[in-house]
Amino acid sequence: MTSRSLSINLCDLVILVADPSSYMSMLIHSMLRGFGANKVLEVRDSVGVIRALTNQKIDALICDARLPPHGGLHLTRAIRRKEDNENRTLPILIMTSDVRETTVKIARDAGANMVIAKPMSPAGLYDRLAWIAFNPRQFIDTATYFGPDRRFKIEGYPNGVGRRKGDKAVDVAAEIGPALGQDEIDSLFSTARTGQD
Amino acid sequence: MTKRTHPEARIFSVETRFHRVARSGGTPRELAIKQAEVAIEDVKGGFDEWLDGALTELVDTIKQAGAEGSGSDSLQTANSHARQLRDVAMTMGFELLSCIADSLCMLLDSIAAGAEYNDDAVACHLDALSLARQPGYRHLKPAQVPELINGLYRVATVAVT
Repeated sequence: MTSRSLSINLCDLVILVADPSSYMSMLIHSMLRGFGANKVLEVRDSVGVIRALTNQKIDALICDARLPPHGGLHLTRAIRRKEDNENRTLPILIMTSDVRETTVKIARDAGANMVIAKPMSPAGLYDRLAWIAFNPRQFIDTATYFGPDRRFKIEGYPNGVGRRKGDKAVDVAAEIGPALGQDEIDSLFSTARTGQD
Repeated sequence: MTKRTHPEARIFSVETRFHRVARSGGTPRELAIKQAEVAIEDVKGGFDEWLDGALTELVDTIKQAGAEGSGSDSLQTANSHARQLRDVAMTMGFELLSCIADSLCMLLDSIAAGAEYNDDAVACHLDALSLARQPGYRHLKPAQVPELINGLYRVATVAVT
C-alpha cells in the first residue's frame, strides 16, 4: 500500500510547526488546515518547542533544520536522547533546503522520522505525513542512538544474517548451477590481466 | 510499547497517538491537497507586504555582511533571509523570484565558505530580485527569461571562482 492511496486524519491532533519564518510557518499552517488539522501551533525557535512540549501534549513536530539557535537537528537529538522525556518517540518531520545526502543522513542519525525538502508542496507534505502514519518504524535504543530504525529501506539480509536479532531473512532464489564455468572465469581474468576488451 | 530483548540494542514498537488518529480515516489525499492549495491562495493577499519586508531585511543584512566580512553573523542572517525568500516564493508559485533567490543563496554559501565577497555579483542579484517582484515579472517562469537566469548563475559562478 502506498501513501498516495491513503487518507490521513489530522483532526484533533496537536501539530507543532517550528520555523523561524513567520510567513513560511503560516503557509505550512494553511496546508495542514487544508488537510483537516484543527490544532496547529507555531513557534519560531527551539525554546518555543521545548516550552510547548513541556506545557502540553504534542502529537507531531514539523521542524526546520535551521531553527534558531542551534538548529532543528540538534533539537531533535535532544528530544530523543533525554531519557525521562515523555516526547522521546514523538514523530518529527525535518524541513530543510539542503537536501544533500550527508544532510539527510545527519537528520536520520539525529532521530528524525522523515525529511522534507523546502520549498515544499502540499502533496509533498501530505505524502510524508501519510508515510509516517502508515509506515511506523520500530524504535532503536542504543548507547549512541535513540530514534526510529534508520534502516527503513532494507528489508533484511540473506539467510537472516543481520546485525540484529530481529532482522528478517530475504528470500533468495534457489541455486540452479554455476552461471559461468571455471574455464570461462579463468578466461575473463586472463583477458582482464592483458587489458583486452 | 512492545519490548523485545537484545543484548546490544533495545528494539521496540511505538504506536503514538499520531499513528492511531492519523490512520483513522480523514480527508482523502486529492481532496486534502486541493483544500491546502485553496488555503494557500487565501493567504496570498499578505504576500506583498511580507515580500517588501523580506527584501528590505535582506538588503540591509547583505550590506552589513559586505562590511563585516565572510565569517560574520550578518552573512548567516542574510543567507537565512535569502533561503526564506526562495522557499516562500516557490511555495507561493513565484518561480522567478525563487530562482533568483536560489542563485543568491549559492553565492552567499560560497562567500560563507571562504570565497571573496563580490559587491557587483551581490548587487546584480538584489537588482534582479527587485525586478522580479514587479507585477509584470512576478508570474514569469525562469524559462521565460533565460538570459536573466543564465546571466545570474554565470555572475555567481565567476564571482566565487
